Amino acid sequence: MSTGRKVLALHLAVLAALALLQFALPPYHHTNVARIMVLAGYAIGYNVLLGYTGLMSLGHAMFFAAGMYGAGLPVYYFGVGAPAAFGLGVASGTALALLFGLMALRTSGPSFLIVSMMFGQALFLVTLYFNDVTLGDQGFILSGKLAPLELAGARLAFEAPAVKYNLALAIFAGCLLAALALRVSALGRVLIGIRENEERTRLLGYDSFRYKLLALAVSGTLAAAAGAGYALLFSYVGSTFASILFSIYPLLWTLLGGIGTVLGPLLGTALMFYLVDTVSGITSSYLLFVGAALIALVLWFPLGVLGTLRGRWLPWLP
Amino acid sequence: MAAVAPLLATQALSKYFGGLAAVRDVSLEVGQGEIRAIIGPNGAGKTTLVGMICGRHAPSAGTIRYEGRDVTRLRPWERLRLGIAYTFQVTSIFKGLTCYENVALPAQRALMRGLARRLAPGEAEVAARVRAALESVGLAELAGRRADELAYGHQRLLEIAMALATGPRLLILDEPTQGLAEGEIATLCELVRRIARQATVLLIEHNMQVVLALAGRVTVMEAGEILTEGTPAEIERHPEVQRAYLGR
Repeated sequence: MSTGRKVLALHLAVLAALALLQFALPPYHHTNVARIMVLAGYAIGYNVLLGYTGLMSLGHAMFFAAGMYGAGLPVYYFGVGAPAAFGLGVASGTALALLFGLMALRTSGPSFLIVSMMFGQALFLVTLYFNDVTLGDQGFILSGKLAPLELAGARLAFEAPAVKYNLALAIFAGCLLAALALRVSALGRVLIGIRENEERTRLLGYDSFRYKLLALAVSGTLAAAAGAGYALLFSYVGSTFASILFSIYPLLWTLLGGIGTVLGPLLGTALMFYLVDTVSGITSSYLLFVGAALIALVLWFPLGVLGTLRGRWLPWLP
Repeated sequence: MAAVAPLLATQALSKYFGGLAAVRDVSLEVGQGEIRAIIGPNGAGKTTLVGMICGRHAPSAGTIRYEGRDVTRLRPWERLRLGIAYTFQVTSIFKGLTCYENVALPAQRALMRGLARRLAPGEAEVAARVRAALESVGLAELAGRRADELAYGHQRLLEIAMALATGPRLLILDEPTQGLAEGEIATLCELVRRIARQATVLLIEHNMQVVLALAGRVTVMEAGEILTEGTPAEIERHPEVQRAYLGR
């Protein structure tokens, strides 16, 4: 089997496993995994920028929030249907990413990190400032406003766990396959080149700014798709999701799972989710354990779980 | 000399870093198919000069014409697409990637036209170009090895393979023999001669043996200016050159 087929088979197998998992999971974990899949879509988007292109952002919550508000506000105020709302959410994220990129990509390295954090905070403050519209950190709930999805004659209510799970899976699959396609494409090769040695890449014939802008647009679009999906599936929109904490999360998930690997963000999100879930059952200071886990990670597995696996045994893993 | 327009012509090219003139009023003409060596002591402005030619540095004054058109304002990636390729003095390869990937990045450049080709530029075509480039420098066997695992001499050759994969018409080699062993230098000279059958070569070099063996003409720089220019034999005899550069 060629490497390309092996890679495709592996990723399709992961998606199939997630599809089958819903029949085996007890209700509590059923909802958890649905949440994990949507958040992993966010992490995959983040990884396109950090893992493939080498740009570290600390403001990615702005794209997640753009998707969330872009989808949630039209539903809440105008009763827009779910598919259109999802499209609006994704488009908001893409537009914001392009606008942000045109300004912020004049910087790189630590300056980019700081500029992204400033923009992220600015958007967070905007969601608080326009409290009348966004209802600030109290947020708003979409239940009762969101019409069930009409699909091939069937009415699919978003409250139904099976609908939630499978739509979450669809969003995750979209993000995963988009990231995989990008990674193995000619564009992906250019992004890796920029990550490894930007000046050399420019002298080999690539306008690195345009490629970084593209990576940012893809990254922001995937993050927004996750944000829009989260709002619609879990029926809540609030400022918390625009806060700095939600910019740090995808960084942690990506680092844990394996920076620059396609499947790493899923693994990292799942591990961190269940770490927090388990520990917060024991103590309220769960962040202490998250911190300890991260220190251990940086000390012994700086490449994350899949990055370490790839380095030792699976060099073909994308 | 035949009255053909030169492939490359700089006109009064200068570069100032603050108050320091790294290159001053350099007018240089390089003909099609030539192997031109640029020699001169450290700090003479050789690397800065070729840096302006390939687009790494913007000139402070002067113009650069290439194949009859003014390329002074073009960005480095635009010049590469016109066929100007540069290899770094300090090896600048993608250390974390395999030799194959190092060469695939420049190899796919010419194939990326339109969105569909950007997403799928035809990996078979890319692979063929990569193989050709690696074979011409003798690294085909090491395609799967990570670049940072290569011996230094092989890293220099990989650097040249990357430039070759772009299909250059003007190849700028910045001290390619630096740090190489005697046997490797001979191999490299042979390689440069083969490259010169298809491309014009601009060679910055300290090793006079290499310069005398390869170059058709030699340009001598000192303190940012052209001191003199001529055939290797003329340059060897030139008293100023002997004083300034050969240290006799």
